[in-house]
Amino acid sequence: MNTPTLASANMPFFQKMIFGDHGASEAAAWSDGLFMMITWFSAFFFVLLMGLMVAFVIIYRRRPGVPAKPSPSHNLNIEILWTVIPSASMLVMFVLGVRGYAMKMVAPDAAMELKVDAWKWAWKVTYPNGASSPETNFLSFESNMAQLEAGSTDPWMETKGLEYPVFYVPEDTAVSLRMNSQDVIHSFWIPEFRTKMDVIPNRYTGYAFHTPKLRDSDSVLDTSSMMQIPGRDMWIFCAEYCGDEHSRMAATLRVVPQETYDAKIKEWGQDKDPVVLGESLYKTMCKICHSVDGTPGTGPTWSSGNGFGFGYEAALANGQSVMRDDNYYRESILDPNAKVVSGFVPSMPAFQGQLSEDEIHGLIMYIQSLSDRNPNASESGEDNQQADDSAGSEG
Amino acid sequence: MQTTLDADTTPAPAHIANHPTHWRNRPFAAHFRTRDDDFDASKFGMWLFLTTEVLLFAGIFCAYAVFRMMYPEAWSNGSHHLDWRFGAGNTVVLLVSSWTAASAVRCAQLNKQKWLKINLIITLICAALFLFIKFKFEYSVKLGDGKAPGTFFSYAFAESPYEILWWSLYYMGTGLHALHVVIGGCLLGWVLYRSWKYQAYGPTEYLMVENSALYWHIVDLIWIFLFPLLYLIH
Amino acid sequence: MSSTDHAHHEGESYFDGPPGVLSKVWQWMSTVDHKKIGVMYLVAVLFMFFLGGVSALAVRYELLDPVRTVETMNEAGEMIQYTTGERLAGLTNIMGAKNANEVYNRIFTLHGAIMVFMFIIPSIPASLGNFFLPIMLGAKDVAFPRLNLLSWYIYVIGCLFGVFSILLGGVDTGWTFYTPYSTTTDADHWRVVLMILAAFILGFSSILTGMNFVVTVHKLRAPGMGWFDMPLFIWGVYATAIIQVLATPVVGITLLLLVFERVMHIGIFDPSMGGDPVLYQHFFWFYSHPVVYVMILPGMGIVSELLAVHSRKHIFGYRAIAFSSLGIAAVSFLVWGHHIFTAMGELAAVLFSGLTFLVAIPTAIKVFNWIATLYKGSIAINTPMLYGLIFLFTFSIGGLTGLPLATLATDLHLHDTYYVVAHFHYTMMGGTVMAFMGGLHHWWPKMFGKMYSEKGAMTGTVLVFIGFNLTFFTQFFLGTQGMPRRYANYVDEFQTLHMISTYGSWILLLGFLVHLGTFIVSLIAGDKAPPNPWGGLTLEWETESPPIEHNFHHEPIVTHGPYDFDKVVPPHWDPKDYPLPENPSSH
Ligand code: HEA
Ligand code: HEA
Ligand code: HEC
Ligand code: CUA
Ligand SMILES: [Cu+2]
Repeated sequence: MNTPTLASANMPFFQKMIFGDHGASEAAAWSDGLFMMITWFSAFFFVLLMGLMVAFVIIYRRRPGVPAKPSPSHNLNIEILWTVIPSASMLVMFVLGVRGYAMKMVAPDAAMELKVDAWKWAWKVTYPNGASSPETNFLSFESNMAQLEAGSTDPWMETKGLEYPVFYVPEDTAVSLRMNSQDVIHSFWIPEFRTKMDVIPNRYTGYAFHTPKLRDSDSVLDTSSMMQIPGRDMWIFCAEYCGDEHSRMAATLRVVPQETYDAKIKEWGQDKDPVVLGESLYKTMCKICHSVDGTPGTGPTWSSGNGFGFGYEAALANGQSVMRDDNYYRESILDPNAKVVSGFVPSMPAFQGQLSEDEIHGLIMYIQSLSDRNPNASESGEDNQQADDSAGSEG
Repeated sequence: MQTTLDADTTPAPAHIANHPTHWRNRPFAAHFRTRDDDFDASKFGMWLFLTTEVLLFAGIFCAYAVFRMMYPEAWSNGSHHLDWRFGAGNTVVLLVSSWTAASAVRCAQLNKQKWLKINLIITLICAALFLFIKFKFEYSVKLGDGKAPGTFFSYAFAESPYEILWWSLYYMGTGLHALHVVIGGCLLGWVLYRSWKYQAYGPTEYLMVENSALYWHIVDLIWIFLFPLLYLIH
Repeated sequence: MSSTDHAHHEGESYFDGPPGVLSKVWQWMSTVDHKKIGVMYLVAVLFMFFLGGVSALAVRYELLDPVRTVETMNEAGEMIQYTTGERLAGLTNIMGAKNANEVYNRIFTLHGAIMVFMFIIPSIPASLGNFFLPIMLGAKDVAFPRLNLLSWYIYVIGCLFGVFSILLGGVDTGWTFYTPYSTTTDADHWRVVLMILAAFILGFSSILTGMNFVVTVHKLRAPGMGWFDMPLFIWGVYATAIIQVLATPVVGITLLLLVFERVMHIGIFDPSMGGDPVLYQHFFWFYSHPVVYVMILPGMGIVSELLAVHSRKHIFGYRAIAFSSLGIAAVSFLVWGHHIFTAMGELAAVLFSGLTFLVAIPTAIKVFNWIATLYKGSIAINTPMLYGLIFLFTFSIGGLTGLPLATLATDLHLHDTYYVVAHFHYTMMGGTVMAFMGGLHHWWPKMFGKMYSEKGAMTGTVLVFIGFNLTFFTQFFLGTQGMPRRYANYVDEFQTLHMISTYGSWILLLGFLVHLGTFIVSLIAGDKAPPNPWGGLTLEWETESPPIEHNFHHEPIVTHGPYDFDKVVPPHWDPKDYPLPENPSSH
């Protein structure tokens, strides 16, 4: 149950075929109902018209020597009829549509507000206590576990994709979103709530939803404790085209009992070992472009070797080179286009204003820990020395 | 008023009297039934085209209105940087030229060849004057101050970060308009050339004069909107 | 439709030219004859359709399966990692892209941009419209023949800009060029600017064609042809031309601002400078919504002709259809906001939703009228008619699925999903392209003087119909279930539907290849077409097939309506060749 699913049981056949699942909130169920109503209405007219068309084609098919029979060229009554009926029904659709829209947009006063930030290409949710979620989740983790449990080892095959951040919300709670983008336009879509809104730079947008009550069968794998806990996962997709990794700008929304939620955000709100903090930030925010195992990506890898990594000289696109030290990293994170590494397109978003001092520190500590010239690692004192030397010789 | 001067109604000099481009000898397009149809069609086409011109500028005006609402101070600062006297001067220049352009049409209809040319020349001088004022006293001074569009903006005393948007719109609007002045000037210059060389326009053949003049009126009209929006409203 | 003489003349057909290849080429390239220009447009737009189709096939090919990173053990027991499902990855270096995703993004952008700007907008009006509008009006040419040629050249130059941009690697902005993505992507390249300029230039071509048609309809109708004696195809093209003239300049200035935004950051649409990216969307859709009716109105015009002629019936509610074209043209300017419900304020959203429903009413009226036209007809089942019926089927689905999109509550879910993709393919492909194919078959004998093989054409038609529905009906389900559009990669559970869709696109390809083959065979070895193979009553059937140089031997005078099949014997009708049911008056 670790991957979000869009499918579940017992609902009308066509609705199941169309949506795959119940909407997860009252507003969602309501708009599904409206959709089905419009669809049945359309189907009625479609079948009626196509039925007539086929019938006419068969009945009045051409027979040589038989002319078309005379028939009226217009008929005011019937024309009024087929203008008024569609108009009236569309008026109904319009009104109901506005009502459903209000249900999705307007947040109750008591709603819990989450801050959503977006950039190319990740989501970050900040909880009311200022913490953000460090947990991630593998796309195809489940199938791997299943295979392991089933004891299938030959060939031992694991499919994995990116790790997506997991955002927690308590069950049966009104939530409102306050969203803003750092770069281009994105769109925060939770299919199971049947609603989305564009996330635009330089302005706040938002919407609201009411999380469902958990069903007895709802359980998910908690990756921090590796235990099944009550909860329900849903996909979050980016629905506005935003570039290369638009199709992987996903995340998981996890509805959990209030206690679990409280415990989690309390834990995240506390101070942490900088390296651990850095690593969790890395997974949720940087991993889409930077690897830590030397493989190339949209951005340079953070591990050392091949001229990358902390303590090694960076060749810049403008022909100069610069030593990768704390200050260089700080600048690279806050204002990435100030010094562009040669061979890369300057496509990294600026994280100025996005990260707290602790977080920047954590990231730099984490990056350092990946290098064989890590100044903090006790056993690599020599490497450290070396790094200082080369820095000195440069200056 | 010009009747006394009219040596103009005299027939064309012999060497162009039978020239196919002389106004008396010009045929109309063969797929029309009558010369009137041809004429009406072309004029109608021109009106449609002018509609598209107005709509083209409508985009600029919309953007102007939107940002004016968003950043009223920037807009007010921006327009304070413009000297209304140059704007007003150019407005007068364009109004005069519009009047002479209209007179040129009238002269062609009355076969006053000499006054046709004089009117056209005045119009062209006005066009040049307009561009001169625009470039010499406005653009080059402002560009010198660093009040340039987009990346080139380097004016150090801007009071609002959004003034740069004002300047962008200013240059887009007036630049596009200046381009239209140039195009209109070319059209009128062509008309002048042909009437000089062939007496190509006269009572039965003044379509090109009329259409060019119409174009010129639109150029004028657009300025009449740009001027108060940019220079007068603070 | 007129009282011209009915004798056959041995006139020169419009494409008989001087001998010699070079002089022939020159004759075509410098022609001001609307028929030749129409044919030149036809060739050009079909070529663009082909290019757009090829990129569509590439899009579908990539989507056969989702991308997976697979980790497995090889024989030696080592862990190895590889990626499956990046089917276009091979193009990465060729296109100079950063990765396989970018390849995909560029390809769907090219697909959209080519299909919209270079194929579908000019398709029917500029090819069939150019060829038949003057003839159906009884005129010798369009009002401004030289301007007409100029439009064609501008069109070609625009296409060359686009193709050049593609050769440089293509763009990955989406056909909508939304800022700030479009102004920041590939910042150091000219490709994006070239593509935007292509759209800008094509706009000019579109404006000039539109102007030309409006004036032609006003000034060049044959003596005796009042507004309500015009064939409905003309009404459709006329309404289209009005939209083209009024909407295109706005996108012109928008694209121009976009170009300046890219090359010198004027900031109007750039949020980091205080500009407004949503303003761009408003500007863009102010043009691009009306433009969807530029696409469909000429198609609707064709369908009116097809249904009337091939069932030998006067159109039911002629005036209602004519006026609804104008109604659609007028209302289409008020509904652009429905594309950006998720980016605008509540009040505006409600307003635009309401207005959107208004535009559906005239369309619904048309559909009802068309079905009523079939009643008591004498319905021939041939390729043009079949396409007419297919249009009714697929376009109705396309239009009806526009209703949940216009409804606010449901659009919040469906926006930017495959539901929208399916909707617009059902309207553009299922509407315009089907009508275009129908019109092409209907007028093929007239344009080229050759009959085509009915068997071949029918085979193609059936394949296209099946392939089309397989490809796109599945996408409605994808969309409602949560598949966003413009995704190079997707969640596993969508794979089955995506696979069906891709297989459908192969059948589509097959169908179009059969059509292409049929047309080529017809040109080479087709029977000579009689002047009036279908027994039509509009003026184009009164001249030779193919038409002579100035269309008619004598100026036609209109004495009856375009669809008076029950009153008039079709001119030039030779029952020996093409038996039609007899008309009452022919006894
Ligand atoms: C030929 C092109 C064409 C046509 C004709 C239409 C026709 C319509 N379109 Fe469509 N549309 C597009 C092309 C077209 N569209 C494109 C290209 C896009 C996406 C662009 C992009 O984002 O890339 C789009 C997107 C789009 C959206 C935005 C979706 C989103 O992004 O969230 C909406 C929303 O309102 C919409 C609505 C409609 C409506 C209400 C009609 C109406 O005009 C339809 C009217 C027709 C009918 C109603 C059916 C026929 C009638 C009957 C069978 C009779 C019975 C009917 C009744 C009783 C009602 N369209
Ligand atoms: C006219 C408009 C048009 C047409 C006809 C088509 C036709 C097709 N389209 Fe496309 N499509 C768009 C306009 C169109 N499209 C637009 C605007 C977008 C949005 C882009 C964006 O998001 O920016 C889009 C997006 C789009 C997507 C979504 C991509 C995404 O969001 O990730 C997909 C996916 O399946 C797709 C598929 C197809 C397919 C399989 C066809 C097939 O029907 C194609 C079949 C055609 C052929 C196979 C060519 C065969 C031709 C010949 C052999 C020669 C012709 C000769 C004669 C006819 C005589 N299209
Ligand atoms: C959109 C992709 C993207 C994301 C997301 C991204 N980066 Fe980068 N990053 C790049 C690119 C591309 C470069 C190389 C070009 C440059 O230097 O600007 C880079 C360079 C860097 C460098 C310099 C690396 C070196 O070896 O010289 C650092 C440090 C860095 N990024 C840190 C981060 C951190 C921390 C995050 C997350 C909080 C992050 N990046 C997120 C794309 C990205
Ligand atoms: Cu972010 Cu798409
Ligand atoms: Cu629309």
